[in-house]
Amino acid sequence: MEDYKKLNDYPYIDTVHKVLMSEAPYMSGVINKQYTEFGKTWLDFFEADLSTFFRDNNEALQIATRGYIKFALDGMLLQKRFDKTRQYESKSYEQASAEVYQNEKYMHTLYLPGIYLSHFLWRHHYIQHLFFIEKFVPMVKKHGGKTFYDVGVGTGFYSREMLRCIPGLQGEGFDLSPSSLSHTKKMLETFNLAQNYRCNLQDIVLNTPTKPASFITNVEVLEHLEDPVAFLKGLNKMLAPNGLGMITAAITAPNADHIYLYNSVDEVAAQAVEARFKIVDSREDAAYQPLKPNDSVPRNAVLIVTK
Amino acid sequence: MNVRNRMTAVFCRIFNIDLILTDEMTARDVPEWDSLAHIGLIIEIEDEFGLKFTVDDISDLKNVGEMIELVDRKLIKT
Repeated sequence: MEDYKKLNDYPYIDTVHKVLMSEAPYMSGVINKQYTEFGKTWLDFFEADLSTFFRDNNEALQIATRGYIKFALDGMLLQKRFDKTRQYESKSYEQASAEVYQNEKYMHTLYLPGIYLSHFLWRHHYIQHLFFIEKFVPMVKKHGGKTFYDVGVGTGFYSREMLRCIPGLQGEGFDLSPSSLSHTKKMLETFNLAQNYRCNLQDIVLNTPTKPASFITNVEVLEHLEDPVAFLKGLNKMLAPNGLGMITAAITAPNADHIYLYNSVDEVAAQAVEARFKIVDSREDAAYQPLKPNDSVPRNAVLIVTK
Repeated sequence: MNVRNRMTAVFCRIFNIDLILTDEMTARDVPEWDSLAHIGLIIEIEDEFGLKFTVDDISDLKNVGEMIELVDRKLIKT
């Protein structure tokens, strides 16, 4: 295992590592694990992101890391319980929404910091980002369109990446959680990208935007829904003909707000096709190797689609 | 067997080594104690004592002593 501490100048990652060491030492190996698999590129990207987003607010980074610890523990505990039933805990969208998306304290202290840091600290989330950078972004650049919709903005990470990686794009984000939208706004402001973006508190199934965009990103939303196909049909209407979309979903990954259980990337792709998308590319990645062959592992499905 | 002895047996099963538990012991003292082992430990303790933990129960545990205290507290409530 490589040791990132042998390299200097990663003070923000050091803060994350120190909090993990003191409050959840069993998680502290994750930084060297990611560094060993993904190299210095990962370290540099992670450090640059933290330094831009948190700036001189070391305390906020410590709080976010504590939120991540709880978020990750919650997921792992649910994963073990999932192994016994192979079902998500029965929950309606309204229940999940009240517990999570509309719960400002939960969103800002645990859920959003947890998801933000998971983009770097979870193997399958980082691979998803690499896929975005290496596959989706070049296709978007080649296409030449100028507008995108990010539906289900979460932390704002992928809206920001679209704007950062493809200069000249104009974007709009849609979400039902005011907390997600305010986090996204903050994310874009700290990266100086807010001028090309608008946030909308809007249900795209009930109120689908009529003007299609050249591109769509939809990252880990489908598993939160009772009827993903109805949502995908709404998404399809938002994409211009020959436009491109990146759609991702969590597979066998229980969480406080995961309702719809996917068991493979093929199930996600089948729903996308039912919603009249054409599949251009796809992949599926696991978060880690299971300890026992029959243990479930959280995985991610990623699709690039067109219509 | 008291809680400490039963916890020791759980730790030995999970890590597959002989361990003498001390209150101050943490994951820093056991190389194999990573996040997957940790959650395996939590589930094994639940099964051993017939308890169910929430994430709030387990997220602030600093060491083995606090784990034993948690089990003691939960057993009193049942």
